[in-house]
Amino acid sequence: MFIKFFDTLRAKGLRVTLGEWLTLQEALDKGLCDSSLTQFYYVARMILVKSETDFDKFDMAFEECFKAASKETEVGAQMLRWLDKSEMMELAHEEARNHLNQMEDIHVDKEQVEETFKQRLKDQNEEHNGGSFWIGTMGKTSFGNMGGNVGGVRVGGKTGYQSAFAVVGARKYRDFRDDRVLDNRQFQLAFRRLRQFSSRLDIPETELDIDGTVDKTCNNGGCLQIVMKKPRKNAVKLLLLMDSGGTMIPFSSLLNDLFQAVHKSNHYKDVKTYYFHNCIYSKLYKTPECENGDWVDTEWMFRNVGSDYKVIIVGDAAMAPEELYSASGNYRGPNGGLSGYEWLQLVKRKYKKVVWLNPKMAPGHAPWREAETAVKQLFPMFKLTVDGLNRAMVTLMANK
Amino acid sequence: MSENTNQFQGTREYVASEELMASVNIAMALQKPLLIKGEPGTGKTMLAEAVARALDKRLIIWNIKSTTKAQDGLYVYDTIQRLYDGQFGVEGVDDIARYIKLGKLGEAFDSEEQVVLLIDEIDKADLEFPNDLLWELDQMEFYINETKRTVKAKHRPIVIITSNAEKELPDAFLRRCIFHYIDFPSKELMEEIVRVHFPDVEEHLLKNAMEVFYNIRSIRDIRKKPSTSELIDWVNALQIGGISADRIRGALPFIGVVVKKDEDLELVRHETNL
Repeated sequence: MFIKFFDTLRAKGLRVTLGEWLTLQEALDKGLCDSSLTQFYYVARMILVKSETDFDKFDMAFEECFKAASKETEVGAQMLRWLDKSEMMELAHEEARNHLNQMEDIHVDKEQVEETFKQRLKDQNEEHNGGSFWIGTMGKTSFGNMGGNVGGVRVGGKTGYQSAFAVVGARKYRDFRDDRVLDNRQFQLAFRRLRQFSSRLDIPETELDIDGTVDKTCNNGGCLQIVMKKPRKNAVKLLLLMDSGGTMIPFSSLLNDLFQAVHKSNHYKDVKTYYFHNCIYSKLYKTPECENGDWVDTEWMFRNVGSDYKVIIVGDAAMAPEELYSASGNYRGPNGGLSGYEWLQLVKRKYKKVVWLNPKMAPGHAPWREAETAVKQLFPMFKLTVDGLNRAMVTLMANK
Repeated sequence: MSENTNQFQGTREYVASEELMASVNIAMALQKPLLIKGEPGTGKTMLAEAVARALDKRLIIWNIKSTTKAQDGLYVYDTIQRLYDGQFGVEGVDDIARYIKLGKLGEAFDSEEQVVLLIDEIDKADLEFPNDLLWELDQMEFYINETKRTVKAKHRPIVIITSNAEKELPDAFLRRCIFHYIDFPSKELMEEIVRVHFPDVEEHLLKNAMEVFYNIRSIRDIRKKPSTSELIDWVNALQIGGISADRIRGALPFIGVVVKKDEDLELVRHETNL
């Protein structure tokens, strides 16, 4: 049943498994959907989708598959525009509340409403607001939005009342998609993900140390003496290198949040952060302002920050060719006799685990972005999104 | 069908949306755990209490902390107590069962009647935690190694799991759950919720408070959006303080109840003065 829906869901990138699919069939079998499309929508969603970030994909797949079931009621863009009257919201609320009080006992026949809705859709050819016949805002017919009618068909816009039994094309979960660039709220998430490879050394001694206990007890003349030990945990050290160049300014608040997130998490054994301008050269700055003199030698870092540190480089990798390849390409500070590219190669040679996070990485293969392509060949590069960050962390932890 | 008696319709103290009620009923019909996600303060934990009350069943709460292990929920074998008891020759040391203490999950399985089990804030625990519970939640049984006893649920408990989305839950775990995301309540639903808590709240006061509340939520750069429970606290504070409705918008009395961060407080004052 509905195999096409299953295929569409998977094609949209939802990893629906056979087990979940069978559960849905079971739900249908038990009659949990009440033979209603809306009910089916919710049941299918709560069984098949396990994250609000995927709701949007689900909505799209659902629309694609079950369009036929609601074909006649498809809403034209023009009509949605007529209905887009958010400024009337306040007024509508007032009116609707009054209206609702009188209407409490009226039961609405859904079928009849839908039938009339289709008919009206066919006939209507201009904008109507506040009336009691056509589809429009603030009206008293059963269709349109922000109206005071109970149990009508809502067309786009904001939900006036939960009782509107059909939501056509609202895509209200679009904002939850996780392939968007990280925003403030989602940093909480990213911050937690960085814990994936954390170790907590401040953990209490909770394990019984059997060897220790036997030793102590023997030394104690057979009188029991318990010895506890800390559970074994690995320790992760992190080196954060951040681009603070001009082209990164649009992303500065993003980077700042990422920085805060890393630093507030005291789960790492150690976190070191340095800044660079456009590309890494012989000096690394201690502050994001990148002021001359307030720096350390990159070679000093190589000597003092061990190769067991995991390195995250954040930057847009949008250097001009000479900034990357010329031995005098650094227009802000010393080059140290090597080109930026050679410095990057040194970083790669020194550290086993390096990932590059790029807030404006081009999707797919982009040979016209010369520097980006070159850097990509040196380090695995990920877009600075929730999804990209997650994959970067997996790469950092991979056992190779 | 006897199912009607076993359906969750919300309670007088807990206002649930249609979808939420449907998800509870479907989870019960399919005998799967219900995973509830949503912004903090949208009443995730309250749901389990409401379900338990509505169905007149006992509620067992398993609060998850960062140090909680899956094993803690099943049973704990108190080795050290046994060692000490052996030292002093306390009676019954040879009976291992005396040193097996059932955890919350074990308690729910072992109960003589069906219970509601709330696993609260599952995302607080270690990343592997949910995976360690797969078999137990699927089969509703576990094996106690030390006593060679299998604890099997006499009545499948209604399992409700809440998560604040601080950590991603493993796929294998998610596959076994029914998922529901609690949307932030619309103004109408919110009004209903507040009225449930304060049946005789003054009309004008509620209206102004809600307006300010939704204004604050709509400020773009706000760090921590105030939640339902904060609005309820605020309305309560306003009532107790006897603040007149007209003063709410201008003076923002007790705004600390709603806005918790210094930066946000400044932002709110700035925005509302405009």
